[in-house]
Amino acid sequence: MDRPIPIGTTVVMERTGETMEEMYVNMGPQHPSTHGVLRLMLKLDGEYIIDCIPYIGYLHRCHEKIGENRNYTQIIPYTDRLDYLASMSMNFGYVLAVERLMGQKIPERAEYMRVILAELQRIASHLIWLGTFGLDLGNFTIFMYCFREREMILDLFESVTGQRLNYSFYRIGGMPMDFPETFLTDCQVFLEWFKPRLPEYDAIMTDNILFQKRVQGVGISPPQVAVDYGLSGPMLRACGIKWDLRRNDPYSIYDRFEFDIPVFETCDVWARYMVRRREMEESVKIVEQALAQLPPGEVMAKMPKTIKPPAGQIYSRAESPRGEIGFYIISDGSPKPYRYKVRSPAYVNLSALPEMLKGCLVADCVAVLGSVDIVLGEVDR
Amino acid sequence: MTLKLGIFYFLAAFTVWAAAVVVLGKNIVRAAVALIFCFCGMAALYVLLDAEFLAAVQVLIYVGGITILLLFAIMLTSRIGVTTARVVNDQVILSAIAAVGLLVGLIYASTSGIPAMSGPPRLPETAPFLGRALLTTYALPFEAVSVLLLAAMVGAIILARKE
Amino acid sequence: MMTFASLVERFYAAMAAWGIPWIVPTLVVMVIVVSVVLAYISVAAMFMIWWERKISAHIQVRYGPMRVGGWHGWAQSIADGIKLLLKEDIIPAGADKVVFVLAPMVVFGATVAAYVTIPWAPGLIVRDLNIGILYMVSISSLVVVGIIMAGWSSNNKYATLGALRSAAQAVSYEVPLVLSLLGPVMIAGTMSMGKLVEAQSGRWFGILPGWFVFPQIVAFLIYFTCALAECNRLPFDIPEAESELVAGFHVEYSGMRFAMFFLAEYANMFVVSAIATTVFLGGWHGPWIPLPGLPREVAHGLFGLVWFQVKCYFLIFVMMWLRWTLARLRVDQLMAFAWKVLLPISFANLIVTGLVLVLGKQALLYVGGIVILLLVAILLAARPAARTVRVGERT
Repeated sequence: MDRPIPIGTTVVMERTGETMEEMYVNMGPQHPSTHGVLRLMLKLDGEYIIDCIPYIGYLHRCHEKIGENRNYTQIIPYTDRLDYLASMSMNFGYVLAVERLMGQKIPERAEYMRVILAELQRIASHLIWLGTFGLDLGNFTIFMYCFREREMILDLFESVTGQRLNYSFYRIGGMPMDFPETFLTDCQVFLEWFKPRLPEYDAIMTDNILFQKRVQGVGISPPQVAVDYGLSGPMLRACGIKWDLRRNDPYSIYDRFEFDIPVFETCDVWARYMVRRREMEESVKIVEQALAQLPPGEVMAKMPKTIKPPAGQIYSRAESPRGEIGFYIISDGSPKPYRYKVRSPAYVNLSALPEMLKGCLVADCVAVLGSVDIVLGEVDR
Repeated sequence: MTLKLGIFYFLAAFTVWAAAVVVLGKNIVRAAVALIFCFCGMAALYVLLDAEFLAAVQVLIYVGGITILLLFAIMLTSRIGVTTARVVNDQVILSAIAAVGLLVGLIYASTSGIPAMSGPPRLPETAPFLGRALLTTYALPFEAVSVLLLAAMVGAIILARKE
Repeated sequence: MMTFASLVERFYAAMAAWGIPWIVPTLVVMVIVVSVVLAYISVAAMFMIWWERKISAHIQVRYGPMRVGGWHGWAQSIADGIKLLLKEDIIPAGADKVVFVLAPMVVFGATVAAYVTIPWAPGLIVRDLNIGILYMVSISSLVVVGIIMAGWSSNNKYATLGALRSAAQAVSYEVPLVLSLLGPVMIAGTMSMGKLVEAQSGRWFGILPGWFVFPQIVAFLIYFTCALAECNRLPFDIPEAESELVAGFHVEYSGMRFAMFFLAEYANMFVVSAIATTVFLGGWHGPWIPLPGLPREVAHGLFGLVWFQVKCYFLIFVMMWLRWTLARLRVDQLMAFAWKVLLPISFANLIVTGLVLVLGKQALLYVGGIVILLLVAILLAARPAARTVRVGERT
């Protein structure tokens, strides 16, 4: 793909003869390694990938059109199902957008609760990514270990929200209810358990020469390509570009916490792995600081019965575990949005996949796809 | 009719049948599989001749190397399902004359007791004997063969490289 | 003397005394021996399948089979076997029926045939061929042929690719495997498995048991790595990888035919462990005491049998442990490792062993092995660990 293809063009891969040398191989939509219903059509020359076309849309559920027919509070459960592995972050991004549109201030305690839950969610999402990434490369054990830790986080979330997966916990104007009394101690227990686990994962994965040989030098996306395609999140930070919305475009109360932004230079799968691995440590720091600073008080601001933002439009973005989740809302003063668009990070990151796969071997496809960390829910909406 | 003779007839028939499938079979892959059986039959015949080292090496090299190479060649150059081969080509008359002539010659040689057809020497173990012979009496042919193999390897690498 | 061979001879003599032609007791003994070996393979394979599930479970912080049969699910393998027997036998349309049916037979037959020269105990070998090691290696190469037949006859592009990859991997790793086995063969001066074990009955420097692993530690490590590759185990299981693009050469097999492949894989694991035990770990040697009421040879034999099994299953445990801990190598890295790393090192080992034997200083073998190991370790350690890869560079 040398030039951007205009929207509306049908991309057809010409089958110019199929010998054993130049082959077309179809991965998916049912495949253990595509992390959802994704279909990849690979054009191979022997063992090398010449081109790749992702076919998406298998999980399209008309999210944005539905949003036009729901009022602002009713959209919140739908945002959970966008990136179902990071529901808290989706909720966060959405309520942030509406609150910005309305110019609404929310109580301090609610802000801290939001940050704690979002960072715990980041750890949980990265744990799933780590587990499935290891599983794709043949390391079954790390999958079990990561899910054990994620279970603890899910237990925490269940004690707060009553749900294990699609929480719908954030509200426009704050949070629906406070933490239970046991939450603070449980959270501390979890953090104490989790901190020595990361060196354990290092012993199995990061320091293992086999793993390093699989992921180093594979799936390169140079910084210029990354910026051109609009990559965000760990994909961008793996190219040496220090850009994190929590630092560069701070929202909520992230400017009150001390944390590093891990950045790696090598632009390959190894860099993306290391960035996410370090992000887990940074999230632990943020949660600890937030727990220490948690003020007492109200969790919900005084909100009108029906949420009617003033007419106008806003593009608001937040840093989800996968990148920049953006919500573009046009309001016409009525309880339902006029236009509701979601800028999903996995969708944009996935668009760079053909570029990253050029020149890779077939066996690398799985590793590179794993490093993009897609969730089809938000790719297809 | 001793047991050994009976086993020999059985193995010989098996080997000849397998060879016939190789030559006369229409499906290339089945012919390759029959070739495997033919080589195994020959290895068994070597065992009957007390050449057990040669039998093991026959299996190791011919079955474990050459037939695999053949199967690779077949599978990488043809499409699945299109595996028929022409059994008879244009030189069938000439080759029939040559084969029948060879058969007549061999039968005559074996029945008139040509010295080369006498039985093998009785050795307790062939492997040390072969080893010593290869490195002392036949050292020069051994080295010549190894140089030949080296040349073949280098040639194969050069031919197979993509420029 | 109550050894296995003397028992058989007494049986023949008794049969001859009753006037029965010699072919009958020969056949009877053959049938009994083959049944015993097949029974052992079945039981051992079922045990290993259960064991693997248990080991994988405990490494992954869970329990594994717990219910079937009561105590820790020991009957799980039997239940799985019965289930596989009762499945529908599906042959894909367009598959080459003869070759499809023949492939699992070839794989299983070749694996079982290797049990002929395994020395279970002093005097207890089915047949102590004087080309023992060579025979076992040749028979293992038949397994590769079966794999290709299976992949081709499935009429499935991915199965064919998987089979070809597996064959390429097996053939590449066979070369360092054979070369690493030649070191101990040179020290012992014989290829016969029984004599190889007997050659390890001395002691090195008076304290260490006389196993060949001490002078040939490099050869042992190379052999073990190649054995993992021959069995298609992680980290060399690209041909069977479930989560990769190509689903494997036995994707179209179901029911009992798949069970044959499965059993053959575990039987093969036992065979390579048995070869490693015989050649490097001293076979059935181990401390033993005479038991009251039994002749000395029988007690020695029983202890030897137990020691052999312990050593084999220890190596199998290490294989399973590695499978659940490591990631998978990519195909080209796998081949590069075999040809560029293992092969030169095994040649070096062979040359050093030969030199030391010719120069007549047996004790130098020990030193030579350690020296090679140190050199390899230094070379590996001097490699920078996680080097920064520049953009566009491929490892």
